[in-house]
Amino acid sequence: MKLENMFKKTRAVSGRKGYISLRERRPEVPEGLLRKCNKCGSAIIAEDVKRGYYICPKCGGYFRVHAYRRIEMIADDGTFEEWDKELVGENPMDYKGYPEKLAAVQEKTNLTEAVVTGKAEINGMETVIGVCDGRFLMSSMGEAVGEKIARAVERATKERLPVILFACSGGARMQEGITSLMQMAKTSAALKRHSDAGLLYISVLTDPTTGGVTASFAMLGDVILAEPKALIGFAGPRVIEQTIGQKLPKGFQRSEFLLEHGFIDRIVEREELKTVLSEILQMHQESGRTYKRGAASERDAALEEQMEALAAPEEEELSAWERVQISRMKDRPVGSDYIQTLFTDFMEFHGDRYFADDKAIIGGIARFHGRPVTVIAQAKGTSTKENIERNFGMPSPDGYRKALRLMKQAEKFGRPVICFVDTPGAFCGLEAEERGQGEAIARNIYEMSGLKVPVLSVIIGEGGSGGALAMATADEVWMLENSVYSILSPEGFASILWKDSTKAKEAAEVMKLTARDLYKAGIVEKVIPEPAHYTVLNLEEVTDRLSEGMDRFLETYESMSAEELTQRRYERFRRM
Amino acid sequence: MSQMIKKVLIANRGEIAVRIIRACREMGIETVAVYSEADRDALHTQLADEAICIGPAPSTESYLSMDRIISATIISGADAIHPGFGFLSENSRFAELCEQCNITFIGPGSDVIARLGNKQEARNTMVAAGVPVIPGSKEPVYDAKEGAKIAEEIGYPVIVKAALGGGGKGMRVAQTPEEFESSFQTAQKETQMAFGDNTMYIEHFVQHPRHIEFQILADSHGHVIHLGERDCSIQRNHQKMIEESPSVAISEELRRKMGEAAVKAAKAAGYVNAGTIEFLLEKNGNFYFMEMNTRIQVEHPVTEWVTGIDLIKEQIRIASGRELSYRQEDVHLTGHAIECRINAENPEKGFRPSPGTITDMYLPGGKGIRIDSAIYSGYTIPPYYDSMIAKLIVWAKNRDEAIRKMRSALGEVIIEGIDTNVDYQYGILENPDYIAGNIDIEFIEELERARKEA
Repeated sequence: MKLENMFKKTRAVSGRKGYISLRERRPEVPEGLLRKCNKCGSAIIAEDVKRGYYICPKCGGYFRVHAYRRIEMIADDGTFEEWDKELVGENPMDYKGYPEKLAAVQEKTNLTEAVVTGKAEINGMETVIGVCDGRFLMSSMGEAVGEKIARAVERATKERLPVILFACSGGARMQEGITSLMQMAKTSAALKRHSDAGLLYISVLTDPTTGGVTASFAMLGDVILAEPKALIGFAGPRVIEQTIGQKLPKGFQRSEFLLEHGFIDRIVEREELKTVLSEILQMHQESGRTYKRGAASERDAALEEQMEALAAPEEEELSAWERVQISRMKDRPVGSDYIQTLFTDFMEFHGDRYFADDKAIIGGIARFHGRPVTVIAQAKGTSTKENIERNFGMPSPDGYRKALRLMKQAEKFGRPVICFVDTPGAFCGLEAEERGQGEAIARNIYEMSGLKVPVLSVIIGEGGSGGALAMATADEVWMLENSVYSILSPEGFASILWKDSTKAKEAAEVMKLTARDLYKAGIVEKVIPEPAHYTVLNLEEVTDRLSEGMDRFLETYESMSAEELTQRRYERFRRM
Repeated sequence: MSQMIKKVLIANRGEIAVRIIRACREMGIETVAVYSEADRDALHTQLADEAICIGPAPSTESYLSMDRIISATIISGADAIHPGFGFLSENSRFAELCEQCNITFIGPGSDVIARLGNKQEARNTMVAAGVPVIPGSKEPVYDAKEGAKIAEEIGYPVIVKAALGGGGKGMRVAQTPEEFESSFQTAQKETQMAFGDNTMYIEHFVQHPRHIEFQILADSHGHVIHLGERDCSIQRNHQKMIEESPSVAISEELRRKMGEAAVKAAKAAGYVNAGTIEFLLEKNGNFYFMEMNTRIQVEHPVTEWVTGIDLIKEQIRIASGRELSYRQEDVHLTGHAIECRINAENPEKGFRPSPGTITDMYLPGGKGIRIDSAIYSGYTIPPYYDSMIAKLIVWAKNRDEAIRKMRSALGEVIIEGIDTNVDYQYGILENPDYIAGNIDIEFIEELERARKEA
């Protein structure tokens, strides 16, 4: 049955004519109650946008945030103290109409310049903060912007404070010509000094971050965060399209694209930003302090005993080949399991800052018994899908470069480095060679040998050749009982020496690749016993032992000076 | 006298939208329906004087989209919005937007909705007004000894609850002081395991209560009356199935006491328009405030029938600024009314919703039978919304007759093409405990348990 136009309407039912409202005020939407989302085009309630971190409740798109609002969102109430508010630039090229233009923008935005700088507290931690405001000539970097940032950074260096800069810019300010270009050098140079003083700089990239700002302070953070879907690039998309004469792919130069290409550490949702910034600040505040360590000493003695028992042959001895197979078991715990179990507050950082973010290596900062450390793990997956994503734990050069970047970061902030090694070997592929796999491994070994903080490497599964050593040039190297560490896979060994890869089993027996063999040979310092069938279910039997050992390791090595540390590490390999 | 509302936009769908449109038609008020793309052929869309499409099927993009509903109101020239129940009816933000846009929201003020929507604040308001609430510890309890003292003050049985609780975890009942220590410790242990916290609260445990609610009406001139109770104890997972008025458990004396408490509660909240105060009624006659619903309710017809008052019309009159048409002494409960909710669902398959096209249907009629529904032969029930498709309400001079009438009427309901709960409802109407009026909020749960065992 169709009902359309079947019913009599109210006017017919009531016999009443149309009406004219007699009420004084007719319903209407007051000015400013609704606004339009410039991303999805739908009408949205202005108040909801304001309360919701300036995010469109319909499409989730991010609105640009005014500088002072941004500070409100990040800083503790009432803690912001503005610096250099009145500082303005000149008209270095005597560009016609520029002063008038500036005056008009100042009038319209109620800002004196395109960046607001000062000092604030984030969850009680003092920090220097600078925020670009896109309403002011697209926050282009003129002399005043460069000067304000440089002064803020200099003052942060003097007061030994971290710096957080929110980038949002169209780039250089054309009206100021070469003076604007020089601001790139001025800001970068100030940040270099700040960094050399061992201080933390967090860069937050917001939509859009382009041109001279990208090519200076925006990309220099110890940690670089970005808001989702922000446009970030050097040349603007339109310029690129015109130059190369083709259309750019969707998502090109967006935050997600940059993350994939290794240029940013994390994409952070606006609601989370204060929490994430606060966590990073917290981790860096605590560096260099002394921490209460667990009563590891006696328990560690027990571990030594177990190890010695291990070193002695048992009745039911596993063959080397059996151990190789165990080390490759699908249900064996992987790098991420150790990170989760041994550490708290793990925050993953991404990217090598050159080309990509290699998912075969997971790295970041975390706490071990309350103490900030840098953790880097070679990562196999736990499912076929994840394994494909992580390339079966075979790192590319980008992975090693990310690891090295994080180690250098750890060195700067005085954090120990803990590595988990589990790789069949560095990735053998066209792309890996193109990007210099050999160079990347060499560079890691080279730099790690001189790292001024304690480095511990634990081989948890396969320790495949140079791919493993690039994360195991450490003060101590430990192995799980059934992990292996060798010059090459037994298959490869058999293939090279005997021209027959099926003789892997025989190869394993002669390669001296088991934990016990290597312990006896003095290649590794510790062997950690593991349960018979080792999976995530009994992971804690191993991590409890590891944890005790790590406490002891940190206690020993953290008390050493940088010279002593690097000297010992040098000798460790010198004698091999 | 204040100007009557002339044109109402109904921000809802289904039978309640139809119910409101009908009241407006009778009052000579023009109506504007809003509908989603899935409701183009819905009865409310066709019955209203005007209809405006407000978006795609998912309710977040249509019936819950405040800006679209406001825009539709302004465009159509309506001067008021009736929110019905569900959707935006108890959304204080929406009521506030209406106020800002000079649209009459047929319901209480946004501040009142906000206050009563906040559990703690509502409870505090009621305590201050002297309305009984479930007694409980004000401060967190960490220790069994200390807890036992509090339990003694509160009165047994008590329930120990996790402060961070949810999903029944960390909850234990102690019937007697002897049981308390072990109940407390078990609950606390569970809490520690589940939430990593050992903060507990202790509350009086209301055993086998009835769900009794009082309908109130309040005008903007300070008059508040109650229209007696509804017994809504027949519910499954907090979804009511059968409601009736009056309740067999309520004497004239108790009705007076609870009614006064309801009026006090409404006054304390500064309430205007129609509202419902929900109580838990214990076997011994103690009753406790649960919450106040700041909207018209699904089961309002049973009250309408025993009192003879049209609640929707009263809502519109109150929203137009008129005084109540009735005083408390004009309100009498006459006879007995029962409502069964007919849902498109399959009780055999765990009450799974059963949307689809109604190929044929026949609904009963006759003396003392009312059907509020939005279905018709050939109508396709969309899968996006609530599964309630009709309300069957009967009235007779006493409960026994009403039950017989309901059984007879249910036996006449024919809805083809989809599954319904009609047979299940029929089963309840034949249950000896139900017939004896021996019901509490666990009735359905126990029935289901018995059914599974059988």
